[in-house]
Amino acid sequence: MNRLWLIIQREYFSIVGKKSFIIMTILMPFVIVLIGAIPAVIAYFNDNAGEAETYSVIDETGMNYASAITDIDGYHFAPLTGDSAAKPREFFDKAGGAIAGVIIIPKDVMTTNQISIYSENTISMGLKSHINSCINDTLTAVKIASYGVPDLDKIIQEAKVDVSVNSIRWDDNGNEEISSSEIASIIGMFLALITYMFVLMYGAMIMNSVIEEKTNRIVEVVVSSCKPFQLMMGKIIGVGLVGLTQFLIWVVLILGIGTIISLVFGSAAATSTLTDPQAMEAIASQANDDSFATIMQSVMSINYAYILLCFVIYFIGGYLLYASLFAGFGSAVDEASDASQFTTPVILLMVVALYAGIACIENPNGQMAVWCSMIPFTSPVVMMVRLPYDVPFWQLALSIFLLFATAALLVWVSARIYRTGILLYGKKTSVKDLIRWIK
Amino acid sequence: MPFLQVNNVVKQYDGHRALDSVSMNVEQGTIYGLLGPNGAGKSSLIRIINMISMPDSGEVLLNGKKMETDDITLIGYLPEERGLYKKMKVCEEIVYLARLKGMNKKDAYEQMDQWLNRFNLTEWRNRKVETLSKGMQQKVQFIATVIHKPQLLIFDEPFSGFDPVNAEQLKQEILRLRDEGATILFSTHNMESVESVCEEITLINHAKVVLQGKVSEIKHQYKKHLYTVTVEGDKSVAANDSLFIIDSSRGNTSQIRLKAGTTVHDTISWLNSNYTLTAFNELLPSMNEIFIETVKKLNS
Repeated sequence: MNRLWLIIQREYFSIVGKKSFIIMTILMPFVIVLIGAIPAVIAYFNDNAGEAETYSVIDETGMNYASAITDIDGYHFAPLTGDSAAKPREFFDKAGGAIAGVIIIPKDVMTTNQISIYSENTISMGLKSHINSCINDTLTAVKIASYGVPDLDKIIQEAKVDVSVNSIRWDDNGNEEISSSEIASIIGMFLALITYMFVLMYGAMIMNSVIEEKTNRIVEVVVSSCKPFQLMMGKIIGVGLVGLTQFLIWVVLILGIGTIISLVFGSAAATSTLTDPQAMEAIASQANDDSFATIMQSVMSINYAYILLCFVIYFIGGYLLYASLFAGFGSAVDEASDASQFTTPVILLMVVALYAGIACIENPNGQMAVWCSMIPFTSPVVMMVRLPYDVPFWQLALSIFLLFATAALLVWVSARIYRTGILLYGKKTSVKDLIRWIK
Repeated sequence: MPFLQVNNVVKQYDGHRALDSVSMNVEQGTIYGLLGPNGAGKSSLIRIINMISMPDSGEVLLNGKKMETDDITLIGYLPEERGLYKKMKVCEEIVYLARLKGMNKKDAYEQMDQWLNRFNLTEWRNRKVETLSKGMQQKVQFIATVIHKPQLLIFDEPFSGFDPVNAEQLKQEILRLRDEGATILFSTHNMESVESVCEEITLINHAKVVLQGKVSEIKHQYKKHLYTVTVEGDKSVAANDSLFIIDSSRGNTSQIRLKAGTTVHDTISWLNSNYTLTAFNELLPSMNEIFIETVKKLNS
């Protein structure tokens, strides 16, 4: 036990002390925050971008549809009365840089349903959709009026149905909570990604550490002082602790930086820091329907302690499972480049797990989600996605049991490969050899 | 009772037998040579003594008792393929390996500083191992091998990679450790070092023990009644068909081989009556010759 502890310590500090590790650990949160914050920051600067761009609107219909396009932030629309003979380019040139572009509403717009924007710039999606909605509304009103039915617009307005689904979950005390599937899937996906990333990253780290000891030939000295199993487990645990350390530092740093940014640039940035663009959209769409308070309520309704506990359990199980595989394979080869024949299937398994996880967001309690959260190779990732949706206890218990049983089996198998592999040099190891070592 | 006993050890790897019923006894406080050509099975035997691998049958006794897991702290092992963690500091590396062998931190640091001082490495104490020259790294590895005062030291080709000056220093350290009571097992195919330090040897070839015993006895066993004769004057001795054959001559010195039944006494008196004898020495075979001869004989 004492030796195992020594090995864990050495492994831990040899990685944590590396410059590359320190730089990576400190920089990564900034990178994540920056990527997340870019839209918010851009929006922030755009809002204060000074002068608005002017677009001239040539209305060839003579019906004054041009005035329907209202000004928005950063854009000003100046109606011009139609001169059907004039070419848009001539208008643009005549303005001599005073305008950013020309919008043409053609005479036959009512039948073709098409208008055009001419500009030297690329037209942003936002501008397009703004113009689109302005013209749509106006033309719709004109069309309705053209039928000559009195109050038709009011009738249509009333006939429009827009149902919003409020999901209300009863908590254990029977109280009502407003839950949000968007927020649940954001959290699930986030945890799944973290698991995926860490297992691959630290699995590879273990493999390199094993190969390094082997090529260094230090391994023979070390195993003359301890059991190969102790060395392998020391490595796996030591590197795992490095992973947890890095994770904790990242969480603290991201929350810290996020808070600072949100103070500077407003709350939009803060929400975007923690999540991906998809998530932002989800939050944005929620914001349209519900009040901010409702979102907050659904954020609070998720049982974080429970999810975090499950995350740690699955993380440990998944990490043990994959890390021991990487350690076993690392011991069987002389160089990292030789290892790909063994690691490729393992990495593929992880990728399958990730895609299964993404697919399960759609239907977190469906057949595939349930099966994939039982199979030990995919469950650490897939279960993360399912967790916020109240997995039945028996499924959770069975899945954890299967995961840890498989992990224990693979640790045993890898240990048998390891103790033979580390002392063998210069032979190309085949899968057949591995099976013989295990026996 | 021998300090280390190896009894009928057999080790089978897939397809070939690495050790075939190998036995040997190493007395306490002696330097014992384990010889053999490459691939003979030396490393397999050393790994078994180190408990890195287990014998298929047979046993290894230390101090008369079957070895247990904790007994590895009694052994110091310097493998042929040297290796250290390159990124660690010299002091961390030595202390780590010492603690793996069961030393406590304080003792490890004390002993390390003494050893670094002895090898003039004190100023390198806080440098990373990768910044040291190869010779210095070898010394660091040697310190890591002996720092926990093991009762049994196993050196696999200890002098390879050392320049003559450092090799001599190393030899003196090994002799000193022997004098302090350590038992030393030397695995090598460098016969000169065997001759100068080993008291007993075991020669392994193709997984089997082919020669075993005290170096001096083996040499006598393998002697071929060769002598060198030096006489006064500038001519060497002439042949004498009844007493000896001349193998070679150079100046006034000859190498002669006594015929069967001839005694040294008869030869000397004949030489004395015909020449003025200035030197007459028995020529014992070197271990190198015995080694090559034995291995050749077995391979043919």
